[in-house]
Amino acid sequence: MTESSANKPANGQVCHRVKNGVKPGRNGFIKNHHHYHHQQPMYCYPEDKVQHTTCNGSSGLGLYSRPFIESFEETPMLVAVLTYMGYGILTIFGYLRDFLRDWKIERCHVAREREEQRDFVPLYQDFENFYTRNLYMRIRDSWNRPICSVPGAKVDLVERVSPDYNWTFDYTGKVVEGVINMGSYNYLGFAENTGYCADASAEVTMKYGVGVASTRQEMGNLDRHEEMEELVAKFLGVESAMAFGMGFATNSMNIPALTGKGCLILSDELNHASLVLGARLSGSTIRVFKHNNMQSLEKMLRDAIVHGQPRTHRPWKKILILVEGIYSMEGSIVRLPEVIALKKRYRAYLYLDEAHSIGALGPGGRGVVDYFGLDPRDVDVMMGTFTKSFGAAGGYIGGRKELLEYLRSHSHSAVYAASMSPPVVEQIIASMKCIMGEDGTTLGRDRVQQLAENTLYFRRRLTEMGFIIYGNNDSPVVPMMLYMPAKIGAFGREMLKRNIGVVVVGFPATPIIESRARFCISAAHTKDMLDTALSVISEVGDLLQVKYSRHKRLIYDQIQD
Amino acid sequence: MAFEDVWKKISWLYYQYILVTALYMLEPWERAIFNSILISVAGMAVYTGYVFMPQHIMAILQYFEMVQ
Repeated sequence: MTESSANKPANGQVCHRVKNGVKPGRNGFIKNHHHYHHQQPMYCYPEDKVQHTTCNGSSGLGLYSRPFIESFEETPMLVAVLTYMGYGILTIFGYLRDFLRDWKIERCHVAREREEQRDFVPLYQDFENFYTRNLYMRIRDSWNRPICSVPGAKVDLVERVSPDYNWTFDYTGKVVEGVINMGSYNYLGFAENTGYCADASAEVTMKYGVGVASTRQEMGNLDRHEEMEELVAKFLGVESAMAFGMGFATNSMNIPALTGKGCLILSDELNHASLVLGARLSGSTIRVFKHNNMQSLEKMLRDAIVHGQPRTHRPWKKILILVEGIYSMEGSIVRLPEVIALKKRYRAYLYLDEAHSIGALGPGGRGVVDYFGLDPRDVDVMMGTFTKSFGAAGGYIGGRKELLEYLRSHSHSAVYAASMSPPVVEQIIASMKCIMGEDGTTLGRDRVQQLAENTLYFRRRLTEMGFIIYGNNDSPVVPMMLYMPAKIGAFGREMLKRNIGVVVVGFPATPIIESRARFCISAAHTKDMLDTALSVISEVGDLLQVKYSRHKRLIYDQIQD
Repeated sequence: MAFEDVWKKISWLYYQYILVTALYMLEPWERAIFNSILISVAGMAVYTGYVFMPQHIMAILQYFEMVQ
């Protein structure tokens, strides 16, 4: 923790430390903090990764037209030690319980082999499920909660109790109504059962039915599908687009069609399971670069081009970079301008997964490409899902016409999967038209603006309260750190007691000590709802003592961009 | 009234202890085992200190030649 001159703030302005020790000045960082950093508070913890990247457009070196503010505050040492201690105690008790189950002192609820087959090759890997049996089961009531209404801004939950510590659940028959929903990926509020989109879907169900009973290639290509794909292509600004029934399947079935043996895939450290599965199924060589780290990516690209394939040193057939628009566990936004600059320089291809960012970022709601003001033709494969912002289900891929024609015949998902259901297609068409403004109202634009305002307000208030919040200031996914295993369960339960539904995440979706609660802001949340939620979060935060942030944040004005 | 506040404060402190040591997730009998082990170890430490502290203090003072 030495204070070098690079770390000390210059005449009272913000001190920033460039990630990974590279000297500031590369990659388009311009140290031009004058015009708005005066209002920002001073926080000088050199070990924290707080990034302030600004760009003065006239300088020519700048790739970012707006400030890119991300923060990933480091785990406090005491909290980390106590978290490990907590996991240690749970592990010891887990061993004790496993011993009791093994010796039949306690009844075993997990899947076991039959007595007669005890000496066969084991079917159930007992130790791998140690975590599930002994840690997850104890707080399982925070997950898989059944919902019995539309998951809009408020949702109804089915009440359930467990007589035997979450191994089984009983339904009391009551319904918890009006729970404020901070967990659904409902960014633009299109998950609703009234309104233009719902009426259009209902009409189409009356005309086409619900099932299509075929694949796209055989007899399942409806005119609604064609219209939807044209609309998606127009929305994204690409030549052509194609939709699939499932977002996970879009990634995992199309990446094998794009790359094969002899190709190189450079994938971000924190990519989603669907991207990882697609990359592994393709059979290409996979190299992982550090999360959102452009120096690491550039080094890997250079190594790949200089050294070629591992043993033969032949050049790679193609190099594909896999990134996501918003990483949902971190709330960070990809550094797209730099990735595109690198891709063009080293002649690689870019696959951008906009599952969470489409509809949620950008002035027109067109995703992360719109947010940075870039050209959609620079991204070779633009993938996204309809589940999050459009209130439907499914995924799409957009790109050049030749790519899409190839995918229509070579992708597993296109050839074998059943077509999308007509009401879902109609929901996509209606919501997309609404966002683009083609239905004649300003509803779409209002929602996009409302989401941006809600996001800024919510994040600002949470950081003021003293919680550790990860991610970019503009991302509607807000992860709030909890760290300790008992606080995961306690947070979920206490919030539900106070009528707020949140999603808490632990291992293995996150690193073992970095468990978090993840809030998803929606345009359907009114300011009153957000205020209620914030006061409850503050109350529960005080009760559980999760306000870990060591930065004394002052209340500062928002920077209008 | 004061007893209520004290009781609430102690209750909150116990809740924090339960959360930090992850006993919150354990069943009551497991908590009983952990608490009894902890209290017995702490009790033994206090007892040992009580019995041996005078001897240790005299030894330190003799080392520093403050008392013969």
